[in-house]
Amino acid sequence: MTNALELRKLHQFFNQGTVNERHVLKGIDLKLAPGEFVAVIGGNGAGKSTLLNSIAGSLPVDQGQVKIEDEDVTYETVAKRARLIGRVFQDPQMGTAPLLTVEENLSLALLRGQKRNCWSFGVKKKQRQFLQEQLALLNLGLEDRLSAEIGLLSGGQRQAITLLMATLQNPALLLLDEHTAALDPQTSQIVMTLTAQLVAEKQLTTLMITHNMADALKFGNRLIMLDQGQIAIDVAGDEKAQLTVPDLLALFKHKSGQDLTDDRVLLS
Amino acid sequence: MDLLISSLSLGLLWSIMAIGVYLTFRILDIADMTAEGSFPLGAAITARQIVAGVDPWVATLSGFLAGCLAGLISGFMHTKLKIPALLTGILTLTGLYSVNLLIMGQSNISLLGRVKTVISLLPNMSTSSAAILIGVVVLALVIGLLVVFFNTEVGLAARAVGNNEEMSAANGINADNMKIIIYMISNGLIALAGSLMAQINGYADSSMGIGTIVIALAAIIIAEVLVANLSFGMRLVTIVGGAIIYRLIIALVLQWGVDPNNLRLFYALMLALFLSVPLLQKRIGQRRRRQKNIAEMEADQDD
Repeated sequence: MTNALELRKLHQFFNQGTVNERHVLKGIDLKLAPGEFVAVIGGNGAGKSTLLNSIAGSLPVDQGQVKIEDEDVTYETVAKRARLIGRVFQDPQMGTAPLLTVEENLSLALLRGQKRNCWSFGVKKKQRQFLQEQLALLNLGLEDRLSAEIGLLSGGQRQAITLLMATLQNPALLLLDEHTAALDPQTSQIVMTLTAQLVAEKQLTTLMITHNMADALKFGNRLIMLDQGQIAIDVAGDEKAQLTVPDLLALFKHKSGQDLTDDRVLLS
Repeated sequence: MDLLISSLSLGLLWSIMAIGVYLTFRILDIADMTAEGSFPLGAAITARQIVAGVDPWVATLSGFLAGCLAGLISGFMHTKLKIPALLTGILTLTGLYSVNLLIMGQSNISLLGRVKTVISLLPNMSTSSAAILIGVVVLALVIGLLVVFFNTEVGLAARAVGNNEEMSAANGINADNMKIIIYMISNGLIALAGSLMAQINGYADSSMGIGTIVIALAAIIIAEVLVANLSFGMRLVTIVGGAIIYRLIIALVLQWGVDPNNLRLFYALMLALFLSVPLLQKRIGQRRRRQKNIAEMEADQDD
């Protein structure tokens, strides 16, 4: 296997063929080596979410190709691709089923990518201890709350569980869609630290969208900045490790010929 | 006493239908009108076969399977063709009206006389007691199987789809297939209720489905208003209670002298009332708290 993820000439258009047409992704070429942890930043409308949705399958691809572990998944549905992808959404409500218990949600995630049948129970008693151990890793005291309805937990707790669900099965690719943006600063840091810990432990290939420049610099071993549907900056390794926020801003100005003026990116 | 027994026997049979409606109504959040077509469909298939001399239990089972097929059609139109759920139900229901007439060959089949039904298989029993016995046995089976099914790998996935479709897809669950499965089980149960009802009433009629979804929903809402927040299995049991209470109310209304021709107007008004009860309860609670608060604040000012 050569690449965990490969995007070839990926284009996305909104309202194609109308006066409102927008060319959101303009031929993205991207390769992720196994184990790479990539932070993706970019202003509003740069195409970050469109990129992630195209990889996850929630947005059909107009032009180009998406390959995960050398398998062409360009025309597969979200559910079909799920065997290769773990995903955490921005909205903490979105990653879990609120009326199901913690244990039921985790059990659903354990079967991601496998055929589900009618002759064995969805929640298996012999897995309970394993799930409790996994929950204990989160350090949020959730190991005793297996039978609690997820809807009764806080946003941070739900997001941590979603993260666990996304990584339980060691996905070929972990997609994080601004997954700490809706949390308060303290919870956000807890979830971010957890993310780094899980990604390192399981050596997951990860694509993380973030609005937080400091996080993008602190976490991961590669950084990509999107601008107007194209990759404006792509740094990795030592070069990335030594980067600071002012460096990044200067680099952006140099590459795109303009100042980065999005407040949300600058201030965080 | 007669009133109680007949309400009990009717309530038990109606609750099979109410449980079917509950699956689409609460798990998928869809008021599936297919119900009003699959109910007479079950009756039509069973009546036609019974008259032809088929074993009553086989005839009843075919009624159930025909209902599953009706559910498959609605489920397919809703998920694969993306037709809105309410419209899907109306389309299938309208089509089924003709299908039911085709199956029966006439608008009404009588099952009285010497034909064998599940009732006449139980000798030395009045129709009511036979209906109660059959109702209890079938319900125990249905509730037991449903509870087991919705805890299997597929069942859990189906519940997740109704709860959060996006999350289900991200976990590799094919939402369309799960919805179709629920549609099929739901309409199968509704047709089963129609099949049993035809045998107990002694006839199948092409118009017997009209207004039935309102009766089923009323049973569900009564159960939910009386006991809130229950596990799935317990909720199904309370729906049986809801259906019996509803039949009792209807029986009392009839005895009180309401013209049977006005009954459907009464069904509709009563369901509208039941549906608004949760809101009324909330408003009353709010008003009480407000008045208490106003009184406290005024007392505070006096100090």
